[in-house]
Amino acid sequence: MTSPLLEARELRKGYDDGRIAALRGVSLSIEAGDFVAISGPSGSGKSTLLQLLGGLDTPSEGQVFYRGQALGSAIDLDDYRSTEVGFIFQAFYLLPTLRAIENVQVPMLALRRESSTRAQRAEELLCELGLKERLNHYPHELSAGERQRVAIARALANQPTLLLADEPTGNLDSENSARIMEILIGIQRSRGMTMIIVTHENDIAASAPRHIRIRDGRIESGRCAS
Amino acid sequence: MARSLSFAWFSWKNLWRRKLRTLLTVCGIGMAVGAFVALVGFSRSFEHEWLRMYESSGTDIAVVQKTFLNTSVDEAAGARLMSLSSVAAATPMILNMMDLTPEINALVYGWRADSYEFDGLTLTSGRRFRDGQPEVMLGELLAGNLHKQAGDTLDIQGSRLTIAGVYHGGSALEAGAVIMPLDELQQIASLQGKVTAFHVRLRPVPPGDAPDAYLKNAQAQIEAALPGLRAVPAAQRASNNQIVLLAHAAAWGTSSIALLIGILGIANTMAMSVLERTREIGILRALGWKRWRVMLLIQSEAAALGLVGGVFGIAVGWGSLHLLAWLPRTSSITPPAFSPSLLLQAMGVAVVAGLAAGAIPAWRGAHLLPVEALRHD
Ligand SMILES: Nc1ncnc2c1ncn2[C@@H]1O[C@H](COP(=O)(O)OP(=O)(O)O)[C@@H](O)[C@H]1O
Ligand SMILES: [Mg+2]
Repeated sequence: MTSPLLEARELRKGYDDGRIAALRGVSLSIEAGDFVAISGPSGSGKSTLLQLLGGLDTPSEGQVFYRGQALGSAIDLDDYRSTEVGFIFQAFYLLPTLRAIENVQVPMLALRRESSTRAQRAEELLCELGLKERLNHYPHELSAGERQRVAIARALANQPTLLLADEPTGNLDSENSARIMEILIGIQRSRGMTMIIVTHENDIAASAPRHIRIRDGRIESGRCAS
Repeated sequence: MARSLSFAWFSWKNLWRRKLRTLLTVCGIGMAVGAFVALVGFSRSFEHEWLRMYESSGTDIAVVQKTFLNTSVDEAAGARLMSLSSVAAATPMILNMMDLTPEINALVYGWRADSYEFDGLTLTSGRRFRDGQPEVMLGELLAGNLHKQAGDTLDIQGSRLTIAGVYHGGSALEAGAVIMPLDELQQIASLQGKVTAFHVRLRPVPPGDAPDAYLKNAQAQIEAALPGLRAVPAAQRASNNQIVLLAHAAAWGTSSIALLIGILGIANTMAMSVLERTREIGILRALGWKRWRVMLLIQSEAAALGLVGGVFGIAVGWGSLHLLAWLPRTSSITPPAFSPSLLLQAMGVAVVAGLAAGAIPAWRGAHLLPVEALRHD
């Protein structure tokens, strides 16, 4: 039996010395190529779960396994984040001092890469996302939708297996939201990536083949359409 | 043309976003390095002139008191010294410093009129003084500063002395000095029978002998003959005498304080920069940057501040040294000698200062938890 791409076992996460229980025992398993939506009310623990799956934080109890190996022990979290995971945030989190094309290269600096290929690859990604005319713009010169597209390009910079997006359309109007979702779904399909999207918009959640609902730090229901 | 992002470019952009703060920090460390270059450079060229003074007169060894830095040797030891086989010539001398006018102070030498040390000087006017006479000779630089010439008089400690001659010195020290008869100086300074040191010229090194070993043997011979006294090679005496040591200590002490302030300036800048970039550091960590890489980024910014400050400081120091060489009070002892080793040291000091100052902010930045740093606002 082969292990799933990503597996969470009995994840618990407390904040403030355990006064806040953000996750109260979450187990799930995700296969390579899955497209999963996670939804739930605000404060239910969605972001916390995504951070643990993406190696941004460590659980108080339980473990995450990537290809059967434990994150944080068998796999170094920094290496995991830089090579296996592409993260997309609600607030974009671009670096304000860097141009779009430079922002996309930031994850590449974590790895040893030829600098000419870095710039070339960043340009290709931005062009693919329709930002050919925006390569040398700073984040403050871009619209919200364009910023999120730069952030998506950055997430793809090191050719990760996993794409994790935490409410990627939360700061966008409906038109831009639709565009970003279209892009993300397109990327997932064309590259066969594994994608997990946290959202509280039901239509987005409904469009995903698999949908996990979270409430009070627990999985409420998991629907799998297949 | 695709713009490539390098590590150095990234840290440069981080510095350049706060132009004024970066500039002020660079000025701070620059002034500190400038003080270092000027003061240490000054004291070094002072020492260097000292050596040139020995070289121009051909002194190989100075015989001084064993224990005290401010040495006082019995003049009677001269006869014993002269009888030694390795000694070609030995001459007693007094060295002192005095205020000639409220603005001008000068080194004062007491020599005998027949001292071999006159060999290093050239008379430009007048004649050599005579022993036992109230006469002095002035270095040309000092004569110019005092607006005096041969035949004029000069008052020292209440005694009126005639300027017998003006000379061109072998070193800048002598160019700004007064030389007077040893016995007259002993009288004025109440030092009858005492001298600062004997300066000794050795006989030529016999062919086939190593000069170093010859010097060592001569030292041993002198010290054996004169218990309680020390025979110091001229090169060592040049760097290890009261006045030079004091100058070095003052230079290092003052520039250390300036550097400390400069370091605090960089530390403050880097601490503020790390604090206001908490979220950005969180982003870097979230994108897989390792701690050491974040630390390297912050340290490279701190080192760059030090480096640019160092270059600026060298310019400031160079300007100050030239100013010192131009001011009448200090012109006698500062031909602006600007050694490569001093420049290297200044750059080293500046970069090390930057790294030291950046260490704590870098460590703090690198050890932020990515999730906590991202939540920061
Ligand atoms: N770093 C933190 N420190 C303290 N409490 C936190 C932290 N992160 C999240 N929480 C709390 O944990 C709970 C779950 O948060 P989160 O995972 O962000 O929920 P969601 O993304 O579903 O809105 C909330 O009550 C939130 O306030
Ligand atoms: Mg959330």
